Amino acid sequence: MPQTDGLSAQELMRSKDAGSERRSTVLTRFWSQRQAKVGVILTAIVVLFAFVGPFLLPWLTGYSATEFAARPFQSDGLFGTDNLGRDVWSRFLAGGLNLIIFSVLATLVGLVLGIAFGMTAAYAGGWLDSLIMRANDVLLAVPQLVVALLAVTVLGPQPWVLVIVIGVTHAPRIARVARSAALNVINEDYIRAAEMYAMPRARILAREIMPNITGPMAVEAGLRLTYSIGAIASLSFLGLGMQPPAADWGLMINENRIALSLEPAGVLLPVLAIALLTIGTNLIADSIAHASANTNAGGQ
Amino acid sequence: MIVRLILQRLAVSVVILLVVSMAIFFATLLLPGDPAQAILGQQATPERIAAIHEQMNLDEPAWKRYVLWLGGLLTGDLGVSAATSQPVSALIGDRVGASLFLMIAAAIIAIPVGILVGILAALRRGRATDTAITGVTLVLAALPEFVIGIALVSLFATVVFSVLPAVTMQPPGTQVWDFPAQLILPVLVLVLVVSPYIARMMRATMLEVLDSGYVEMARLKGVPERRVILRHALPHAIGPVAQVIAIQLAWMAGGVVVVEFLFRYPGLGQALIEAVNYRDVMVVVAITMIVAAVYVVVNLLADIIGILTNPKLRTGGGQ
Amino acid sequence: MKSASGVSHRSGRLSRRAVLSGAVVVGLGGLLAACSGGGLPSAGITPTGPPKRGGTLRVGFVGGGAADTLDGASATNLGDIARAINMYDTLLYRDDDYALRPMLATAIRPNSDATVWTAELRSGVKFCDGRRLTARDVVASIERIVDPEDPKGGAAGLAHLTEVVAVDDRTVEFRLDSPDSALDDVLGQYSMTIVPADFDPTAPVGTGPYMLDSFVPAQSTVLKRNPHYWGDEGPYLDEIELLNFNDTDALINALLSSQVDAVAQIPAALSEVIASDERMRILESETGMWLPFTMRVDTPPFDDERVRQAFRLVVDRQQMIDQVLSGHGQIGNDMYAPFDPDYPAFPQRTQDIAEAKRLLAEAGYPDGLEVELVTAPIQAGVVEAAQVYAEQAAEAGITVKINRMDLTSYWGDYLEYPFSQSFWYTRNFLPQTNSGTMPDSPFNETHWNDEEFISLVEQARGETDGARRGRLLEDAQRILYERGGLIVWGFSDQLDAYQAYVGGLVPNATGLPLSGFQLHRVWIGDVA
Repeated sequence: MPQTDGLSAQELMRSKDAGSERRSTVLTRFWSQRQAKVGVILTAIVVLFAFVGPFLLPWLTGYSATEFAARPFQSDGLFGTDNLGRDVWSRFLAGGLNLIIFSVLATLVGLVLGIAFGMTAAYAGGWLDSLIMRANDVLLAVPQLVVALLAVTVLGPQPWVLVIVIGVTHAPRIARVARSAALNVINEDYIRAAEMYAMPRARILAREIMPNITGPMAVEAGLRLTYSIGAIASLSFLGLGMQPPAADWGLMINENRIALSLEPAGVLLPVLAIALLTIGTNLIADSIAHASANTNAGGQ
Repeated sequence: MIVRLILQRLAVSVVILLVVSMAIFFATLLLPGDPAQAILGQQATPERIAAIHEQMNLDEPAWKRYVLWLGGLLTGDLGVSAATSQPVSALIGDRVGASLFLMIAAAIIAIPVGILVGILAALRRGRATDTAITGVTLVLAALPEFVIGIALVSLFATVVFSVLPAVTMQPPGTQVWDFPAQLILPVLVLVLVVSPYIARMMRATMLEVLDSGYVEMARLKGVPERRVILRHALPHAIGPVAQVIAIQLAWMAGGVVVVEFLFRYPGLGQALIEAVNYRDVMVVVAITMIVAAVYVVVNLLADIIGILTNPKLRTGGGQ
Repeated sequence: MKSASGVSHRSGRLSRRAVLSGAVVVGLGGLLAACSGGGLPSAGITPTGPPKRGGTLRVGFVGGGAADTLDGASATNLGDIARAINMYDTLLYRDDDYALRPMLATAIRPNSDATVWTAELRSGVKFCDGRRLTARDVVASIERIVDPEDPKGGAAGLAHLTEVVAVDDRTVEFRLDSPDSALDDVLGQYSMTIVPADFDPTAPVGTGPYMLDSFVPAQSTVLKRNPHYWGDEGPYLDEIELLNFNDTDALINALLSSQVDAVAQIPAALSEVIASDERMRILESETGMWLPFTMRVDTPPFDDERVRQAFRLVVDRQQMIDQVLSGHGQIGNDMYAPFDPDYPAFPQRTQDIAEAKRLLAEAGYPDGLEVELVTAPIQAGVVEAAQVYAEQAAEAGITVKINRMDLTSYWGDYLEYPFSQSFWYTRNFLPQTNSGTMPDSPFNETHWNDEEFISLVEQARGETDGARRGRLLEDAQRILYERGGLIVWGFSDQLDAYQAYVGGLVPNATGLPLSGFQLHRVWIGDVA
C-alpha cells in the first residue's frame, strides 16, 4: 500500500497538548468510536484464529497442516484440498501464526530504529540532524517492496531477511514523524529547565520527550503494522517469503490460485483473513489518530 | 527565488540517486558466488570464466566496477542476465512501455476520481455520504493490493461472474493494448489502491480550506457558494493534494509489481519477480535503478509543484 | 501451482537438457499402444471422416525465450522441439507405439561387433527447396552435430564416432571406436536432424513436412506446407503457428478463449477442469518421463547401501502419483527405462516403514537422521514431489529439510548435491545409462561407479545378439534395483489439450506433447 505520513500525523503535529495526563482520556475517546470497536473485534478474531488454530489441529480437522487428505483440488473435507491434496481448512488454521509474528517483529524493528534516529535527529540538531534526514531521503527513494525484492535476491528468501528489511524501510517514515513530534516539545521551556539542571541527556529523552511522542507513535505503529502484514503476505504470495511446505496464508493464495474457479476456498479463506486483519489494524490506527488529535480538523 | 529552490531540489535529487545507485551496487557485491559462474553454469571452464571476468570487469576494484557500471547504465548497457545470457536491456525493453501504459492508465482514472470523491466528502461533511466515503477509503487503504486483486478476479473473472479475463493473454507479437478487456482488472486494482489516499487528502485539505479565513471572507462578501468552492477554496487545496498525487504516482512505480505478477502482465514488475526467482542480480539491479529514478523524478515534480503553488513564495501575493 | 515452465531456461547451450532432449521416446513394444489413462474423456474422439486439407493450426506452449533456435540440432525448449520435428527429419524415428522406424534411412545395420553401422538412404527425398537428398548431406549433417568447435545437443551420444563416410550416393557408414549396439537409438533422436551440406540456420532448409515462413524468437513461428514432402501422410494443414506463452495460466486461458487450437503440457491438476468444457478434448499418453530423487553414493549417509534402501522403502509410490500428478502416472520400481523391451519385472517395491527403520538402525541411525533435500522448479512436479517425500519420510524418523533453490543457483552447483532431484524424459536403458549412470556420463547425478555394473554395460554395448544383450541388461538393472542411488517412484503421463475440431491427434508414447509433435497428420475439421 502506498505510504504517506498519514493525515492523522499532521493533525497530531498541530495538537498542542500532549501529556501523560491525557492518556486516560485518549483511551476513553478511542474506545468511544464505533470504528475502534469494529477494528479491535476484527483484529481479535483473526489473531485468535491464527494463534489458536495451529494448536487445535488435528483435533478439529483430523489432519495436520502437511498431511494429504485426497488428490489435489478435490472437494473432500470442509473446504476441499489444495494444490498437493492437503486439507485446506487445516492449512488455513495453521497459516496465520508466522505472518502475525513476523509482521509484529518487523514493525517493532521499524519503531525502535525510527524512534532512535528520529529523536536523535531532533535533539541533536545541526549536522547530525541533516545527515539523518538525508539518509532518510535515500532510503525513501526506492519503494519498500522493491528494496525487499533486492534484499531477497541477495540474501535469499528467509523470514529474518524480510523482518529486517521491512523494519528498516519503515524506519525513515517513523523517524520523520518521531522527529517532528519530538521537535514540538524540545523547544519547550521545561526541557531547557531540565538541561539547566544538568539532567543527563538520555534521561531527558526518556522521561520528558518520549512520553510526549507516544501519541503519534501509537498511530504510526498501527499504520506500519497494517503495512507490514500486507508486505509480508505479499512477499509470501510472490513466492519470496515463507517457503513450501510451510502453511502460510500468502503462500496458500499463490499455490491454490491456479484452481480459483475450481476450488476457491483455498484462496478465498486466507484472502478474507488477511483482509479482515489489515482492515482491523487500520481502523485501530485511525481511531487512535482521532482520539489523540484535536477534534477540530476533519471531524469524525 | 523560486528558480533557486527548484535548482536546489534538483541537485538534491541527483545526489540521492547517486547514493541510491551506490547502495544498490554494494548490494550486488554481497551476493555469494562468482557471477561468471552463475552465468556460465555448466559451461564453465577456466578460460570461459576468465573471459567473462574480462568482459564484466570483475577483477577490478569495487569502486572502479561501480563507476563502470554507472557509466554503462547511463549509456544503456545494463549488463548481462545470468538466467538467459542475453543483455539486460533486450530483456526489459518492451516491458517498460507496458508498465508505463498501465501506470498512466491507472493515473488518468484515479486522479480525477480521487479528487472528486474527496471534494464530495468534504462538501457533505458529517453526513451519510461522507461517512460512507470515509469508511470505504479506510478499508481500501488498509488492504494489500494482491487482496484487492484476488477479490476482483474472483468477482469478475472466475467465481462469481466470468466477464473479464483473469490473466493477460497477450498472444505473442501483440501489444497489451490490442486486447483492452484484459487491461480492465489490472488498471482497476491500481485505481482502487491509489485513489483512497488522494480522496482522503483532498477531503482533509478541502475541509481546512473551507474553514479558513479567506473562504469565510468570500462567503461574507456574498459570493455564490459554487464560486467560493471553485475560485477560492480549490486553488489553495491543490498544492498539498498535488503532492499526494505525485507520491501516489511514484508509489505506483513499485506497486505495479504485485499487480503485474497477479495478472501475468508482461511489464517491468513481472520481469523483476522473475529475476528475483532466478537470482538474476543484474536484472534486479537494473529494474531497481529504473524504479528509483522514476520515484525520485516524480517526487521532484511533486516538490516543484509544491514550491510553485505555495502562496507564501509567490510574488505579488495571495488571492 | 507456480508454473515451472517445464523446459530448460538454459537454452542455447550444451546443457543437460539439451543432451536429453534427443531421446524423448517411450513405448512398451506395442503393448501400451494408444491407451489413455486416468479416466478422462476419451482422447480419440475427434472429427469424423477423412482428413480435410487446408487451414491453420495455432499451437500454444510455454518455454520459449530469446534463445529460440531454428536449428533442430540445437533444440532445447518445447518450441525448438516442435520446429525440429516439423521442419526436419532424422534417419530413424520412434512412432506412436515407440517402435523405432525408418525415416530418411530405410534400413540400418551394425556389423558383427557393433563398431560399424551402415545406413541405406531412402530414394526420391527432396529438401523443401527442391534439391535431392544425398549421402553427402547426411555426412555433413552428422559432422556438424559432432563438430568439436560447436557441438550440438546430440554430440555426447556420438562421442565414440570416429568418422562418418558416404560410401556411395545412397549409403552412409558410421565408424565407431568402441562398440555400440544402440547407435540406431541415438540416430532416432529428433535432434539428429538431416540438413543440406550447405545448411545455414538463418535460412533453414530441411526435408520435413513443413518449412519456415516466419520466425520471431520468444514469440511465434509460422510454418507452411512443404510441397516437396516425401511422406505419404499429409501434411494437411496449410500453416502451423507455434505461439510461445510466458506461463501456464495464460496458455490455458488462451485455449479456453479459443485464441489457440491446441496447447502442449497442461498441469495434471487442471485436466478435469478443462475436460469438463465440452469444446475441449484432453490428450493423455503414458510416458516414461521420470522425476527421481538422486542420492550421491559416494557421500555419507548415502554411501551406505542400507541407508539408500531405507530411503527407497519410505516412499508410498501411489500416494506420490496421487498427490504430485493427480493420479496421472504409473508407479515406478527404482529403474528408469520402463519401455525398454528388456525392462525386468522384479517384485514391485512398496512402502515398508518398519523395514526402513530396521535398515537405518543397522546402518547406525537408530533414532532416524536428518538430511537436506535440494530442490528447484526444474520441471512441474519436482518441488511438489519433494514436499510429499518429506512428509512420507518423516514416518520413519527421517527429517527431510527442503532447500528450495532458484534455478540459476541450482544449475550452478548441479551434480554436487548429496540428495536432490532430477527430471528425465523417456529413454531406453543403454542411452539413459550412457547419459547418467556411468562414471564418464555427463550427468551422473548419483556419482554411481559400480564395477560390476560397468562391466555389464560395456559388454552390452558390444553385444548385437538381442537375447544375450537382454540378459546382460537385466543383470545390470538388478544391481540398480538392489543398491542404486536413484529413487524412481513413478512415471508421469503426458497431458495436452485441444479443441474438438482438431483431428489427427492420437496418444503418442514418445512423451513429446501433442502426438509427439507429429503435426503432419493433424487436420482441422468440423466439430464432432
